[in-house]
Amino acid sequence: MKLIKTKERGLTENYLELHYDEINDETKEVISRLDTTLSNVEGTYDEKHVSVPVTEVLYFDTVDRKTFAYTDKMCIEMRITLRNVLDNYSDAGLIRISKSAVVNVYKIDHLQGDINMRTTIFLKNGEKLVMNRGYKKEFMTELERIKERNRK
Amino acid sequence: MKLINKKNFISIVCISFTLVVCGKLLLEKVIGFTDRHYTENIFTCLGFSIIITAVLALHFYLQRFPLIPVLIAQYAIVICTTVGFVKLADIIADTDTNAMWQMILSVTIPFIISAAVYYITFFRQIKKANDIIAEINHVSINQ
Repeated sequence: MKLIKTKERGLTENYLELHYDEINDETKEVISRLDTTLSNVEGTYDEKHVSVPVTEVLYFDTVDRKTFAYTDKMCIEMRITLRNVLDNYSDAGLIRISKSAVVNVYKIDHLQGDINMRTTIFLKNGEKLVMNRGYKKEFMTELERIKERNRK
Repeated sequence: MKLINKKNFISIVCISFTLVVCGKLLLEKVIGFTDRHYTENIFTCLGFSIIITAVLALHFYLQRFPLIPVLIAQYAIVICTTVGFVKLADIIADTDTNAMWQMILSVTIPFIISAAVYYITFFRQIKKANDIIAEINHVSINQ
């Protein structure tokens, strides 16, 4: 399968177009990954219904049984649980970092460990999250999986 | 994820006990020492394997607390148990004059080594994770 990138000046929104004769396994895999990556997170912000690409979400967290998705500009209240978030957007690079938070790995700038073996996650927008020790192994496994997937 | 649970508790105790006893026997063979209290010491090894595995199993439940106080508390529990055990053994049977000190050292040295290995592994994992994140970010910028 070939990937052709074409620069077009003046486009209002980038788009992908697939040309095919027959959808084979490789194409199916790419489509299924794109489906997740290009899917949107829906919820309410400022009492208005909003829909934001999952790739724009920095992290999700649960407070008082309510799930919130945080982007650079807003905090969206969602109607689904954190477990559903992980199931629905499994290929979008989301990793659980504590009982109540899930981070978008593509929005991480770097990690830092402290003497108490807690891991602080520095996001690209400057925000900080704390990863629980119990989720470290799961985090590393998922990070390796994303790395391998990106190499393919 | 819980590393020591009800299902693997016995097997972890058995593995630890086997390793400790093998180490003991090898050391005795190398230095040519004959243990006069063989049976008592074997059961002591078993007792400590159970206690230390139980203390380590608590680690999972203490994850929300900072590690240093958790390690200190775990060490304190193990040392208190050791001191209690030696005092009890002193009443029941003859013990070496340095028994208390030797037992404390026997617990402290592996504890410090394990904590050091744990720390080194942790910071190496952080470095590895940062390398992967840098690679992922590099790929996503280039795509």
